[in-house]
Amino acid sequence: MSKLIVVACGAGINTSTIAEDSIKERVAQEGFSDVEVKRILIADIEGFLGRTDLIMVVSMMKIFRTFDVPVFQGMPFLIGSKQERDALLDKIVEVIKKV
Amino acid sequence: MLEFYESLIAFDLQAKDAKEVIGLLAGNMNAQGLVSAEYGAQTWAREMDHPTGLPTKPFCIAFPHADAEGVNKSALGVAVMRQPVKFQNMADPDESLDVELVFMLANRDPQEQIQTLRNLAVLFGQPEKLVELRDQATLHGVASWLRHELNLS
Repeated sequence: MSKLIVVACGAGINTSTIAEDSIKERVAQEGFSDVEVKRILIADIEGFLGRTDLIMVVSMMKIFRTFDVPVFQGMPFLIGSKQERDALLDKIVEVIKKV
Repeated sequence: MLEFYESLIAFDLQAKDAKEVIGLLAGNMNAQGLVSAEYGAQTWAREMDHPTGLPTKPFCIAFPHADAEGVNKSALGVAVMRQPVKFQNMADPDESLDVELVFMLANRDPQEQIQTLRNLAVLFGQPEKLVELRDQATLHGVASWLRHELNLS
């Protein structure tokens, strides 16, 4: 079964695209062939939470609740330094490898 | 192709709030025929629903915009503030940020808007670049610095 990562943003301009770019690039570098990265609106997240292939949520918005899967704040992809982005990608890769 | 020239820049701007900054930048775009007369009001309405302030370092920035409707030609407007104005945080609309640089986007096509944002995000992650831009001594300096950094012709 594939591993689904959803990348959520608030609205409109799709800041999640910036996060999606970075995650997809790293996923390709790592050679993962079973990882799907999907951009969604944060308002639509409920529809994904029950999916058994969901392994992680990356959100550009602050999230004030918990999920059954790991959640990462994606803001470093938009405004972080290269080191901050790489550190976040390392954590994401760790989760992908574990499941 | 992104329209970007000196008349779209507000330099050393004193404004009382975000609404005034947005109205001024949109007015500059409208004067050049790039956006409709309503673009400023549309952008402010969107900003209230979906704020665009970002907690960059060492000071915050914002990138207000509206939808493609009302945009005749894609453009970038910039305000360099004399004093910070408050925008709300995109990631947490309850949080106010002191914004010193405002990048106003007008894009005819969502894909193109994402590309503009990708280019800007390279600057957002580099505090020394944001300081360089804010500390330009002249409006002309702001224009040529941004043209160079964003590879605009």
